[in-house]
Amino acid sequence: MRPFEYVSVSNAEEAVKALAAAAPNGKPVAGCTDLLVEIKHEASSAETLVDISQLEELRGIELTDQGLRIGASVTHTEIMDSDLVAEHAPALQDAAHTIGAVQTRTLGTLAGNLVTCVPSMDSGPTLMALEATVNILGSKGTRSSSMEELFVFVRKTSLEADEIITDIVVPTKNLKKPTVFHKFGLRKGQALALVNAAGSLHVKDGKMTDVRISLGAVAPVVIRCLKAEAHLEGKSADDAQVLNEAAEIALSETSPIDDFRASKAYRNELIKILTKRCIEQSIALSQK
Amino acid sequence: MEIKVTVNGAEKAASVPPETTLLSVLREQWGMTGSKSGCEVGDCGACTVLLDGKPVNACLVLAGQANGRDVLSIEGLGTPNNLDPLQKIFETHASLQCGFCGPGVIMSAKALLNKNPDPTRHDVRDALAGNLCRCTGYVKMIDAVMELAANNKSEAA
Amino acid sequence: MVITVKDGAATDTNTPELLKRADADIKLPAAPHKPGSDLQTIIADVNQQTPAVGQRVVRVDARAHGLGRTEYIDDMTWPNQLFAKVKRAEVAHARITSVDVSEAAKMPGVKATLVGTEIPVNSFGPSYQDQPLINADKVRHVGDPVAAVAAETEQQCIDALKKIKVEYEPLTPIFDAIEAMKDDAPQVHEGKSNIYASKQIKKGDVEKAFAECDHIFEDSFNTQMIEHVPLEPHASAATWDVNGRLLVWSSLGRITLGRADLSRILQIPYNKIRVTATIVGGNFGGKNELTVEPILALLAKKTDRPVRHVFTREDEFLSSTTRHPFFMDYKTGVMNDGTIVARKIKIVCDGGSYCSWSETTMGKGCILAAGPYNIDNLEVNAYAVYTNKVMTGAMRGFGAPQVCFAYESHMDDIAHALGIDPLEIRMKNAFYEGSSSPTGQQLQSVAVRESLQMASERAGWKEA
Repeated sequence: MRPFEYVSVSNAEEAVKALAAAAPNGKPVAGCTDLLVEIKHEASSAETLVDISQLEELRGIELTDQGLRIGASVTHTEIMDSDLVAEHAPALQDAAHTIGAVQTRTLGTLAGNLVTCVPSMDSGPTLMALEATVNILGSKGTRSSSMEELFVFVRKTSLEADEIITDIVVPTKNLKKPTVFHKFGLRKGQALALVNAAGSLHVKDGKMTDVRISLGAVAPVVIRCLKAEAHLEGKSADDAQVLNEAAEIALSETSPIDDFRASKAYRNELIKILTKRCIEQSIALSQK
Repeated sequence: MEIKVTVNGAEKAASVPPETTLLSVLREQWGMTGSKSGCEVGDCGACTVLLDGKPVNACLVLAGQANGRDVLSIEGLGTPNNLDPLQKIFETHASLQCGFCGPGVIMSAKALLNKNPDPTRHDVRDALAGNLCRCTGYVKMIDAVMELAANNKSEAA
Repeated sequence: MVITVKDGAATDTNTPELLKRADADIKLPAAPHKPGSDLQTIIADVNQQTPAVGQRVVRVDARAHGLGRTEYIDDMTWPNQLFAKVKRAEVAHARITSVDVSEAAKMPGVKATLVGTEIPVNSFGPSYQDQPLINADKVRHVGDPVAAVAAETEQQCIDALKKIKVEYEPLTPIFDAIEAMKDDAPQVHEGKSNIYASKQIKKGDVEKAFAECDHIFEDSFNTQMIEHVPLEPHASAATWDVNGRLLVWSSLGRITLGRADLSRILQIPYNKIRVTATIVGGNFGGKNELTVEPILALLAKKTDRPVRHVFTREDEFLSSTTRHPFFMDYKTGVMNDGTIVARKIKIVCDGGSYCSWSETTMGKGCILAAGPYNIDNLEVNAYAVYTNKVMTGAMRGFGAPQVCFAYESHMDDIAHALGIDPLEIRMKNAFYEGSSSPTGQQLQSVAVRESLQMASERAGWKEA
């Protein structure tokens, strides 16, 4: 591998300082499961790697007055093993389980998955459907961001060169909300999503409310299907027809591509099927 | 940079450039060639070791990240006269052919049984999903792990 | 099935009617056992001589594998060793107008460079020696070697490769094997037709049989290029001893072939070359010929140090042999009852940029193309064709998997069209003891029908 600097820090503030000093070619690293691959393939200009994987303040999963807080450096395996996540946002565990394989899940972190920002990221749809926010620390201080604001383009987030995500928060109002995640890949493990999807809703008096649909791998970034959501909002949860319509509308909000993994036509079918599945199963969850 | 890592119970030191991976340190600095390089990008699992007891791709762990931590590699699992039960059952089940994927598979299986001593067949497949094998088709590895788990269970009972 | 051996002749005494051809007497060669022995006795006899037969054995390499102590080439080190890396073409088809390694030679840690013109006899190959070790005139696939360096570390090699300047005159590439057969297709090897090997089988009179049969079915099948992906990438090392003997360690399987090629390439006698093969981390056919061993030998000669090289996984996909894509056209004449009376097959094997094992793969595919079926009228035409893609070579099955996919898919289509059970149509046509292979070999120990029968029972065919 080509040479680079490796910086060990004791806290998040130091990490920010180190990134600011190394800008624009500094990168925070945790699991390295993507960045090291990029470096090995000579597709990254990173010259200084600032290790935030072991910082206590970026770890841990807890309930706060904001909601369910997951530290930036919490690994996918830790999410899968967490009783808190199981109780309050189990769809996040389903999503975490679809990432790579056990070795990459042990190393990879939730924030790492978000900042790598590939269209097929598996943590994105569920967090977006749950209206999660990220807390960000930089030289200028702290700020919060929605998922939509965070994801700018393929491999590009809104983070400045000296900013790191400190935590991810699922808001209190969406804890225990019926939410389902589905990923379709060419294999059950070690596979990128051809399409992934999350659906989240309540059913009140037989009507769907607070419908949220998020799709990945169908546009440059993970997206919300606002029109499909609006179509379902307030409608009867028993209406199969309206669900089919919503699936078609969701499709119209996407722009999947042909690539060596799948054709656009195949992805179009997956979009409709996974959207429906997520909504149907969320409805079923709401009735439990 | 200077690093100190506890490897298979013993503290080891190395002086390596920052871009060195744990796999490279194990193989080239410390002569522990049991962990293999199959892809260098975390796809094949041939480099699987346990870092603080958890299975990781050593090719994706930087030397600096291993500093001060605990590593268990295949060399630390058993010796010719004192095989780890996994190593023994892989022998009797003929679970390995060319053997190149073997250390990685065994470490992943070890991590599984440490965490979940009574796995389902699905659990075993999930735990080994990050270890590619081109020779065997995996069935005898899975059989071996399931049988070992069953033996452990009946012994404990 | 019970074979009864009597007076030196064997007869089958209980094969169900379905499995017998009405007019067939099963004739086995005289058995070396006592006349009147039944199969069980024969087995018992054999077991007396070789008690291992039928026993479970622990593999001799199992313990070392499980302990992680098996020593593959990449696990070895040589004192004072150097690393080598090969610069590979990034264009599929081009004339090389110049290769300049002067800047690379000055890079930190670099101890030697090597270009194609420095290789004594710059060609090798298991059938035709059409493949350069390092290309001097032309590159024929993305990944074709154009230069090599040896340096103290792998990263120094990688940095040095970037300083190698290669100038190309691009040529039109040909990627489609069918197109490559045309007279006006770009020539992958100048002065040679892209059709570099062919084989034909002719038996009986297909055209007459087609004219007389009840139905004709035609279809085309093709299969994809497949990479072996052995977990262990190709690895080798070379050094010279003080008496001028070349010592090579390699993941190469065919070491006598490798030694012969090394002798020819380096122009040194066989007895000056020792090739050591080690435990290999998977071969599957992809490690059956030289790769960089001669390059390492020459770099070792220049530097007077051992030189080692391991393919990266990317190198494996870029420039190691693969399984041939086959393009297969089948035409089959059948009678109403499903008996196959004629078959005409054309096979085009995408032979990649160099022959490698294509001639034999094509040959095997040709012989096996009709399937294990008694067909009196048969014509098979098989071709191996150059394209500007990576080498296609040996991979388990060696031509068989591709044609099997074709003839069995074809058989299912025929069965479906005629309304005949797919198992029954195969039983009707399958080889039996004494059948003639497409090339006229009298087949013995034939168990096609018995196997199908047993498999169908185990799979629950009748119940499904």
